[in-house]
Amino acid sequence: MPLRPNISAKLSDHLLLPQVVTAAIERVINKALSLNNKPIFFTAVVQKTLILELTELPFALCFTVNNRPNSAEIMVRTQAEHNDCTIKTSMSSLKKLKAKQSITQLIKQDELDVTGDIKIAQQFASIAQALEIDWQTELAKHLGDVPTHKLLHFGDKIVQSLTTKGKQLEADIGEYLVHEKRLVVTRNQINIFNQQVKEVASAVDDLSLRITKLVANMAEPSD
Amino acid sequence: MSAKDQNSQASDLSDSPSKSIDADNQNTTHFGYKTIEKDEKISMVTGVFDSVAKQYDVMNDLMSFGIHRLWKRFTIDASGVRPGNTVLDLAGGTGDLTAKFSKLVGREGKVILADINSSMLNVGRDKLRDKGLVQNIEYVQANAEYLPFEENTFDIVTIAFGLRNVTDKDKALRSIYSVLKPGGRLLVLEFSKPENELLNKVYDFYSFNILPKIGALVAKDGDSYQYLAESIRMHPDQETLKSMMENAGFEQTTFKNLTGGVVALHKGYKF
Repeated sequence: MPLRPNISAKLSDHLLLPQVVTAAIERVINKALSLNNKPIFFTAVVQKTLILELTELPFALCFTVNNRPNSAEIMVRTQAEHNDCTIKTSMSSLKKLKAKQSITQLIKQDELDVTGDIKIAQQFASIAQALEIDWQTELAKHLGDVPTHKLLHFGDKIVQSLTTKGKQLEADIGEYLVHEKRLVVTRNQINIFNQQVKEVASAVDDLSLRITKLVANMAEPSD
Repeated sequence: MSAKDQNSQASDLSDSPSKSIDADNQNTTHFGYKTIEKDEKISMVTGVFDSVAKQYDVMNDLMSFGIHRLWKRFTIDASGVRPGNTVLDLAGGTGDLTAKFSKLVGREGKVILADINSSMLNVGRDKLRDKGLVQNIEYVQANAEYLPFEENTFDIVTIAFGLRNVTDKDKALRSIYSVLKPGGRLLVLEFSKPENELLNKVYDFYSFNILPKIGALVAKDGDSYQYLAESIRMHPDQETLKSMMENAGFEQTTFKNLTGGVVALHKGYKF
């Protein structure tokens, strides 16, 4: 029914949600840039626009770099009539891009569609990868050195503990599903099943061949 | 006149927008709900903005709960601005749109912040310079009805929350049309008529009962914000403004209601 999408589109329009999202993204990006410790060179992308069309978002994200003498800023909009590169993809494929999976492979799998100058997209990606923020120093400016050290130490401990517990939980659930409840089959069982399917397929082929031969024999005129 | 009377008058006028146009066609015009000589309007509007210039940004945030930033962001998104463009931010006040345009047009482009009011222009210039925006911005004190630019100069002209203060809106639209390049576009961001009747009533109550009090408290000038509320009601509604733009020569004219029609963005092209 088209009614619900219409209502949500209207609500999104009235509340200017696309503008809220772009404003938030712009703020986060520029804050990150201002906290960055490593020099980033924007020269190649000054006044260039990259459009990112994510399948999960009903509007595009258009990134334009403005480079002033002492600082660079990235503007985020929902529309741009002029652009240098457009990327159509999904959030999951974006993560794969981050994992340095080959762009060509993603394009072949129809997970990524790039039009325009691909070098612009690569430059934007390298800016994102070059970001290096010393969170400890930034936090210390607000909290002080000792509380920051203790907080981060505590945070590390929690992360480690959660990671260990997460792995343990994953293993326990796997064990429970496979061995206790037998809801999930083991890899060995899958292999045996595949082998059996192959044997049945082979037997069916043999039978089919025999039937064809028999039919052919019956059709031959007897002398 | 009580707030209730004022509301009913506003609603009468907005229901028959031709009345407000008629008033503009004679030697008189509106200053809020008052009918005044056309010659008086500029000085009276100047008085209002001289009074509120320094608190203008704070008041905008307070009055609109910060939503004016999203309306302006929507305008930038819809403008189709690109590097190298020449943009006129008319009645640009404290330069919110100019700041964004300046970053988007780059070094090859240019933005002119124009306002009839020198106090507003000074506040805008100081604010933009403090932000380090100096490279591609020029400041011009100009009346929208008599723009001091050559024909076919600008790729984009914007007028945000300014058209309702202009004495002769038709003349201003013709003047804007003249300075736009062929293919250029005008974007008018202005208060308008809410689509929903309930929202309209809530908005009326807020405008006439709360807004002047906030003005009195923060900007120490309740009268100016009473004028703001009145001038919004006297401004042509969405369809009327669209017709006015078409009469001035604009083509492919459209409008988009924002926040239920409290504000509308009109867009028209010169071909």
